Amino acid sequence: MDYSLFKEEDFCEDTAFIHWVISPTEESNQFWTSFLKKYPHKMKEMERASEFIKTIHFQEFEPSQDDLSRLKQRIWEDIETPVRRLNPWTRLAYWSAAAVALLVMAAGIFWWTLQPTTYQTAYGEIRKITLADGSIVTLNASTKLIVANDLNTESVREVWIEGEAYFDIAKRNGAKFIVHTPEAQVEVLGTEFNVCTRRKSTKVVLHEGKVKLQAPHTQAVVMKPGDMATVSDKDQYIQLKIVTPKNYDSWKESIVVLDDRPVSEIVQMLEDTYGIPIQFENPLLLNKKLTGRLSLKSSDEFVENLATILETEVEKTEKGYFFK
Amino acid sequence: MIKDRLTPAQHAALWDDFRGGSQEAFSQLYELFAADLYRYGYNLVRNKQLVEDCLHELYLHLHTKRSQLGPTDNIRFYLYRSLRRRLTDALTKLNKFDSDDYAFDNAEFLIQPYESDLIEQQTLERRKQIVVAELNKLPKRQKEILYLVYMKGLTYQQAADVMEITMKSVYNTINVALTTLRSYIKETMLREGLFVGILLLALFSYFINF
Repeated sequence: MDYSLFKEEDFCEDTAFIHWVISPTEESNQFWTSFLKKYPHKMKEMERASEFIKTIHFQEFEPSQDDLSRLKQRIWEDIETPVRRLNPWTRLAYWSAAAVALLVMAAGIFWWTLQPTTYQTAYGEIRKITLADGSIVTLNASTKLIVANDLNTESVREVWIEGEAYFDIAKRNGAKFIVHTPEAQVEVLGTEFNVCTRRKSTKVVLHEGKVKLQAPHTQAVVMKPGDMATVSDKDQYIQLKIVTPKNYDSWKESIVVLDDRPVSEIVQMLEDTYGIPIQFENPLLLNKKLTGRLSLKSSDEFVENLATILETEVEKTEKGYFFK
Repeated sequence: MIKDRLTPAQHAALWDDFRGGSQEAFSQLYELFAADLYRYGYNLVRNKQLVEDCLHELYLHLHTKRSQLGPTDNIRFYLYRSLRRRLTDALTKLNKFDSDDYAFDNAEFLIQPYESDLIEQQTLERRKQIVVAELNKLPKRQKEILYLVYMKGLTYQQAADVMEITMKSVYNTINVALTTLRSYIKETMLREGLFVGILLLALFSYFINF
């Protein structure tokens, strides 16, 4: 079966895929994880298919423990002839039941740990995660991070991201750490950097250490601290610019540092973080460049402060904010 | 969802142990599958007593006839098929059905809205609710097919065997489900497109009037 040619609907129809979604086993996990590694761009389609499959979820009557043990007793009574002492057998049944339950539980936990983990933040939510290898990832709002399950054993540690996050990677005996974005991949040994992959482009700001950045049509670029690299999946080259790194990861403290950045960029950032559309009556304001620090804790407050700086009025509408 | 996570090889091994006379394997067959069979049976007949009677018979039959049973690498499928046959027979005895008809008058396969762990736009949730409502309108027999394929992970062939219908009916039902999804997506897009169209029209007429 050539799954690389599969569309969302084909996945929905494929019983092997369905079976993996509703009841993953060690084998199927291995198969689909390595498939995803090979074809990461299939992730979206597979995800939607899996959502659809899970949507077909039937209401079920849950038999009580009483129902089940009463039925079991009834069956076992009819199996056992009264000559064979009943008591030791019942005890044995209980012991084996307990052993089986334990076994099933242990197996369940084992398989559960093999599953890649997905983290997803909501609009306006910032979350700090410590990964199995000790690396710390801070997720900005509306960001999704998928972490391979074998960070501690594999020689290549891999994660996939959509959105924005700050990575503080722990060193582990020269094991590489790769951050995949829809447009590029960032390869590191141990360092701190910010990755932002919104609006079809990936932006990496290096805080400390050394990273290698690669996109499908470009040559790899080795970044130095203070570099900001921008690339989209269609670009022929990677754009490099020297910036002040801490201005680009201040979102971790819910602060925006504006160092001569145009209003349009701030508006985009706000829409990505809060999911609230912002409109301007006077589009010229969008080109204005600003410098300063603004708190991002509440969108209302942020927008009001922005209006004050721009010397204009802002109105909260049903859909978002309207700058006059 | 499915509780056991056994691979086909493990299914086959457990089944072979059981056929070889292992009491422990028999006991496992109960612990692993009885609850799930109970759920399926109850969805079919909505009668606890009847389900328990048939399960009782089924397990006794397995125990006495174990040396004569064939191999399988999907115990769930095997047991589903036996349970469904027993339930059909029991109902036929009770009501003297045409064996050809869908015997399960009281069957109720209800798809319930499922909470996604993806935090996306609310429109996705709403879209799903509508798909669920559409799917719930399907005939019971078709919903039973969806139940076996999407909830219990049976292959098309196995689902057809359990229900004693043709593969073609299974394919058709799966297609109906996917079409429901597809038409809904199209409809949403159409509606959004229509909205933009009306807006443009309104703007246009506004300028004409001037």
